[in-house]
Amino acid sequence: MTDTPMHAGTTALHDLGPAPVADDARTPVLSVLGVSKRFGAVEALVECSLDLYAGEVVALVGDNAAGKSTLAKVIAGVLQPDAGYLEIDGQPVSLPGPGAARQHGIAAVFQDLGVCDNLDVTANVFLGQERTHRGLLDQGGMERVSREVLSMIGANVPSLRTPVGRLSGGQRQGVAIARTMLGEPRVVVLDEPMASLGVVQTAEVLTHLDRLRSLGMAVLVIGHNLNDLRAVADRIEVLRHGRNNGSFDGPTSRNDEIIGAITGAWRQ
Amino acid sequence: MSRTTGSQSSLREANRTLVIETVKEFGGLTQVELIDATGLSAATVSTIVKELTSSGVVDTQPTSRSGRRAQMVTLSPQTGLVAGVHVARRQIRVLLGDFSYTTLASTSLPVPFDQPADTGLDRIALLLAEMIDGVGRSTSDLLAVGIACPAPVDATGMVSVRGLMPGWEDEQIGELVAKRLGCAVHVDNDANLGALAEVTLGASREVADSLWLTVSDGVGAGLVLGRRVHRGFAGAAGEIGHVQVDPTGSICRCGNRGCLETVVGAEALLAPLRPLHPHLTLRDLVDRAVHGDAGCRRVIADAAATIGRVVGSVCQMVNPPMVVVGGPLAESGEVFLEPLRAALAQHTIRHLLGPVEVVPSRLGSTAEVTGALVLAVQRTDVTHRSET
Repeated sequence: MTDTPMHAGTTALHDLGPAPVADDARTPVLSVLGVSKRFGAVEALVECSLDLYAGEVVALVGDNAAGKSTLAKVIAGVLQPDAGYLEIDGQPVSLPGPGAARQHGIAAVFQDLGVCDNLDVTANVFLGQERTHRGLLDQGGMERVSREVLSMIGANVPSLRTPVGRLSGGQRQGVAIARTMLGEPRVVVLDEPMASLGVVQTAEVLTHLDRLRSLGMAVLVIGHNLNDLRAVADRIEVLRHGRNNGSFDGPTSRNDEIIGAITGAWRQ
Repeated sequence: MSRTTGSQSSLREANRTLVIETVKEFGGLTQVELIDATGLSAATVSTIVKELTSSGVVDTQPTSRSGRRAQMVTLSPQTGLVAGVHVARRQIRVLLGDFSYTTLASTSLPVPFDQPADTGLDRIALLLAEMIDGVGRSTSDLLAVGIACPAPVDATGMVSVRGLMPGWEDEQIGELVAKRLGCAVHVDNDANLGALAEVTLGASREVADSLWLTVSDGVGAGLVLGRRVHRGFAGAAGEIGHVQVDPTGSICRCGNRGCLETVVGAEALLAPLRPLHPHLTLRDLVDRAVHGDAGCRRVIADAAATIGRVVGSVCQMVNPPMVVVGGPLAESGEVFLEPLRAALAQHTIRHLLGPVEVVPSRLGSTAEVTGALVLAVQRTDVTHRSET
């Protein structure tokens, strides 16, 4: 809601203003095209396709071992597809590693979050990409940016000096998402962000997702609870045995149709 | 408030009740303001406040009014916990506070459009239990809950109009939540409760009559007459979203044709922008308008003009000095308020005391949930509780 410009040291982060109109034009930011991935005898993904557009939250649902996390890892550059490829802004790309994905503006938050419990909030946000000023850590600058990115996604933490181990599950999730914001991502992938969270914390995470959409990002969220996912998702994509098994409009679809597609009662 | 005549003790009892009810009505007020509002003598008010403070019903805090020291009188926070819940179409908002209207915790949970009542009611109970736990208290401290519903609610707490809250209409919402939480639960319409919040703690506290207008997924109004929310016989007073503005328009979810809501509801406002912005939400619309997007500003200004025609008729009938505007659209500030003022000027008679004052809500997006909390406080008998 604020229109304060954000300046992070010399690197400007996202302008907090609304995304430019061009972002909504109908070229997907990211396309997954016919991707297959096999682990020995297990076909984790079979000619799987997915488009993500700017300013859109897409929920990826499916039974256990439907290939959801594998797809997330392919998008994040952690796994390389056996067949098929990815496109960014309509251009084919290869993502040999997570670093390459980050350079293309793809940020991912996995279930383990990768936060260090003994470090405080600022240290976690800047973990591995600390800023220095004349050879010393630029503590003040990093705290300012941390505060900005946390407020950008609507996260509440009691204090930036709190060790992350003392935060609630929802707040830890917020710190992990805030960290990805430093790379100015255009695509954010979240693997099971609401797993084992209470209702109050689920509310916090859903609010973050909503905020990421408003910032003009393409958001892919993996989860189980249809009620929670449909609260924020514009579109719901179903995977079944590694294959696409239906695409549903978030606001107008019904839970029973989606469950039918997840369980295989309904086939594409 | 009826004054009893008779013995000294019944007079004292009546005055005591009057003081408590006045504190409830204004949320909190200084001892001097209390003298004004009750019409009792300074000595009587002072004695009663002392008595009520020592019995733990009210609490006094030093404050200042126009640079002078004063005593702010509120209900005692020690009385217990109280909560407000707003079940909106796309979110459930919960506010946990105490009887002095201090907020202890607040949460907002996004929900899908057609959330079934069983899931929703469970969520409300779980949210409250987790929030109470989060502030280090126990659910047994929770004395009352108010629930704001996006549909008219009759005197028994049942939704009284079909089509506005699908899946919840046959539920005894109050009873079901009361059973889960073990405390009293009061249910009312969200627009009525927005009005109650503003007159108790917000922008219209100083005026006797006012109109609360909220523009969100739908449009609603709450009418305050003589500082009381006018609910009407089925609780449907102020449902301006269902005033007909286009006799040949679309059929509304209420079953009638061309209701105001079909023209300025969230879906109607966003539809013309869909080709450019496929996933725009009401909040995005307001954000873009605030940042100067001409198309979004136009959509909001046109909506304000249409709403102004209907609100103008209401103002003509009731002649309130003030219209308080809430809901996301009001957060666009003058983008919405300026054309609304212009429309009101065109559609009401000009009188010498000046135009109706149009002000933004002081409570903003928390008006309805705050009103639900106020309802819970006002319906709780604090005297008997503190004596036991």
